[in-house]
Amino acid sequence: MKEFPPRTPDLSPEKERAKRKRERVAIGIVAALVAGLTILEARLGAIGGTVAFTSNIIIFALININVILIVLLIFLVTRNVFKLILDRKRNILGAKIRSRLVLIFISFSLLPTILLFIAATNITTTSISSWIGGRVGVALTSALDIARGSLEREAGSLSGVADQAATAILRQGKKVSLQDSLEAARRGLPSDVSLLLVGKTGPAVVSGGVSWEIAGQIRSRLKGEEGATRGQGVRTIIDESYASAVRHLPDGRAVVAVKTIPPREAKRFREIAKTYDEYHQVRLLDDPIRASYIATLILITLLVVFAASWMGIYLARQITVPVQMLAEGTEKVASGDLSVRLDYRSDDEFGHLVGSFNRMTADLKEMKKSLEDANVSLSATFEELRRRSRFIETILTNISTGVIVIDRGGRIAMINKVAERMLAIKTDKVLGKPYKEVVREEHYDVVRTLSREVGETPGKQVDRQVDLTIGGKRISLRVSVTALHGDDEEYMGLVVAFDDLSQAMRLQRIMAWREVARRIAHEIRNPLTPIQLSTERLQKKFAASHEDDSAFSECTQTILSEVGSLKSLVEEFTRFARMPAPAFKEGNLGEELRPVVETFRTAHPGIAWDFEEGEVPPVWFDPFQIRRAVTNLLENAAAALGKQGRCVVRVGHEPALGSVRVSVYDDGPGIPPGDRDRLFEPYFSRKEGGMGLGLAIVSAIASDHQGTVKVRDNVPKGTVFEIEFPVRPKREG
Amino acid sequence: MSGEAVLRYVAISLIFLGVLVAPGLSAAASPKPRITDIHGQAKGRSALVHFTLRNAFTPGMVEALKSGIEISFKTVVRVQRRHRNWFDTTVGEITFSRSVRYDALSRVYHLNRGKEVELLPDIFTALAGMTRYEVIVPLSYKVERGKRYRAYVRTRLDKVGLSDPLRSIFFFSSLWDVETEWARGDISAP
Repeated sequence: MKEFPPRTPDLSPEKERAKRKRERVAIGIVAALVAGLTILEARLGAIGGTVAFTSNIIIFALININVILIVLLIFLVTRNVFKLILDRKRNILGAKIRSRLVLIFISFSLLPTILLFIAATNITTTSISSWIGGRVGVALTSALDIARGSLEREAGSLSGVADQAATAILRQGKKVSLQDSLEAARRGLPSDVSLLLVGKTGPAVVSGGVSWEIAGQIRSRLKGEEGATRGQGVRTIIDESYASAVRHLPDGRAVVAVKTIPPREAKRFREIAKTYDEYHQVRLLDDPIRASYIATLILITLLVVFAASWMGIYLARQITVPVQMLAEGTEKVASGDLSVRLDYRSDDEFGHLVGSFNRMTADLKEMKKSLEDANVSLSATFEELRRRSRFIETILTNISTGVIVIDRGGRIAMINKVAERMLAIKTDKVLGKPYKEVVREEHYDVVRTLSREVGETPGKQVDRQVDLTIGGKRISLRVSVTALHGDDEEYMGLVVAFDDLSQAMRLQRIMAWREVARRIAHEIRNPLTPIQLSTERLQKKFAASHEDDSAFSECTQTILSEVGSLKSLVEEFTRFARMPAPAFKEGNLGEELRPVVETFRTAHPGIAWDFEEGEVPPVWFDPFQIRRAVTNLLENAAAALGKQGRCVVRVGHEPALGSVRVSVYDDGPGIPPGDRDRLFEPYFSRKEGGMGLGLAIVSAIASDHQGTVKVRDNVPKGTVFEIEFPVRPKREG
Repeated sequence: MSGEAVLRYVAISLIFLGVLVAPGLSAAASPKPRITDIHGQAKGRSALVHFTLRNAFTPGMVEALKSGIEISFKTVVRVQRRHRNWFDTTVGEITFSRSVRYDALSRVYHLNRGKEVELLPDIFTALAGMTRYEVIVPLSYKVERGKRYRAYVRTRLDKVGLSDPLRSIFFFSSLWDVETEWARGDISAP
């Protein structure tokens, strides 16, 4: 997955946006100022005919400010372009599309702008060239000549007037005033013709309606031409507003006949002269004018290009910024950060897109939170269910009741270990199979009967005691078959629970034997003492008299011996019948049993005695009785092993069951399966001389400790006896 | 320093050298306008100062003048009293403009000396009118007998009267650069 470098490493989105806004405002102000100042300068230029060109500080300031502003605009755009190039080099997301957009904008603007620039330059230069190099100059010169000729003709027509006036003035001399002479000479002339008498000094004498301005101009011209034209007879002086003929007098004065040009014609002459001047000025300044136009066009072209660039950058940023934000946001969301919120506000589609993205991440976050909560809840529920399941499994595994669950399809859904052991079947071989296939033929009738009865029983539960022979062993089971129904009374299967009544029956038999033993001991013990005493008395009294009678002594001795045997028997019976209630106390089971094993190690050195102790907590038990029970088991083991063999006593703890287990392993010949049913019954013994009470006592002690004693085959040979009882019996709790 | 850096250093140096030397070369190509022949008399509360402006009109300016472009000079005349062991003090100063314009229709040159317009028939008298000056400078106090006075004069191109279209085109640029240094000359006093 591609890693995106940071867009802006230093600025937060708010600061970046504020910065962009400032730049936009600055560029806008700069552009407005450039435009405004340009207009202002143009207006000043229009009225600048009387403004000193190079000394006007305001103009220079405006020009400089304008230049600075243009430079600033160029700087901003150039900076953005360089920044874009740097972003592209840094491979910042969005830089490529941004530079592409800017390039497109510049290309779209540059191409037509350059074409326009070239065309405008050509048109301008061609226009200037055609204007100054064509027939315009000739026409203007001709027009000026025509105008000048017209005025000269007018002035020429006044030559006679000026000459006559001069002759009249000279003839009259000082007889008549100059004013009167002029008035007389002017008599009969048109009204727009005036006569002037201009001297070297003093004001001119005027006759007619000529203006003083014209009169002043004529006087000034005469003064300027002084010496250059004197004595040349009549000559003409023209201007746009007048035409005149000058006749110099010998005394230096001059008589001037002036015709005032009507204003309309004077204006035309003025326009012709002005246009002529402009033409020549343009022709003179041809190259600077071209350069000026080209410079202006270049400036405009640059402005257009920079404006287009800036617009391209701006628009590209408008597009790429939200795209970049979305890409980075998506990247964060993909990496698991659902707290992403894009801070971009706009009314356009990107704004809606970013808004949708924010809503999506918010929804995702909410959903994730819900899922996490649900997951936590489910985990807790699952853990609870698993705990319960384990608890139930443990119960089912460790209860003495065998349980088989059959689903609605008649398939075996569950079998606990007790059932597995009781029925001598393997779970993995029968699980999921129809129970009818699993049931042995000899048991099929029993199963069919129970199944039928369950169907017929209103309570859907049947309890029966059945006797089965499994593996050659006859066991009595109390079978409870219950039909399972859901909340909607839908049939869901069967639960078959069965208890092995063999142990209970064995205990009942033990109890019965205890009672029998107690009565027998009671009935026998009473006469034994008199019999013994009487026999001993007989021996004492008649021993001497019957020294030769061996029968007497043998008989009495036999009586005493048998009485002793009977006493021993009674004592055993009494001990069996009157086993005291266990005196529970908390102690270390291993410490109690290790000395017992040591005793047997000493007594039977040929046998390898091992004692193994696991992690066993303090246990509530009767040390004396437990030692006795283990002693009985070890005696049986020693008897079974004979001179050599191995016997292991193992003390262990079953935390799940809350019980301790004392196991005695031997590798002796083992116990035939047929004897195991009666093994713990009193007076059952395969040992020669055994009374058959040892294992019965073990069974009774285990029972008194609310435990059990079991026997099974050792692998590869031998027997294992296991006494199992709770760590803390109920009577003590 | 790498070769590229050396080249860059040399290039920048040459550019700066060109920038500094180019104006000097261009200036050397054409004679520089200057004020000469400053002399005059101080009397009473005024001083009459004569001086001549030389090299003010380039051929291009003459051609422009013939094309009807009005050319105006602004001149500053300053009269100072000289002191032996102290700074000179300005006792009078005057600033005035003088312009000339050609009228193609009437074929005369309008020389404006400020008070009146002289109409001159040829360019020689017109140029003479623009380059020869006789100026009366009012003084702030009466001339002291036996003291020394000196006139300082400086002239520069004031304005160029282009036609309206050209005035907008050349608004940002100056056609000619005419400006003299301060010139000085002693004037006599009673």
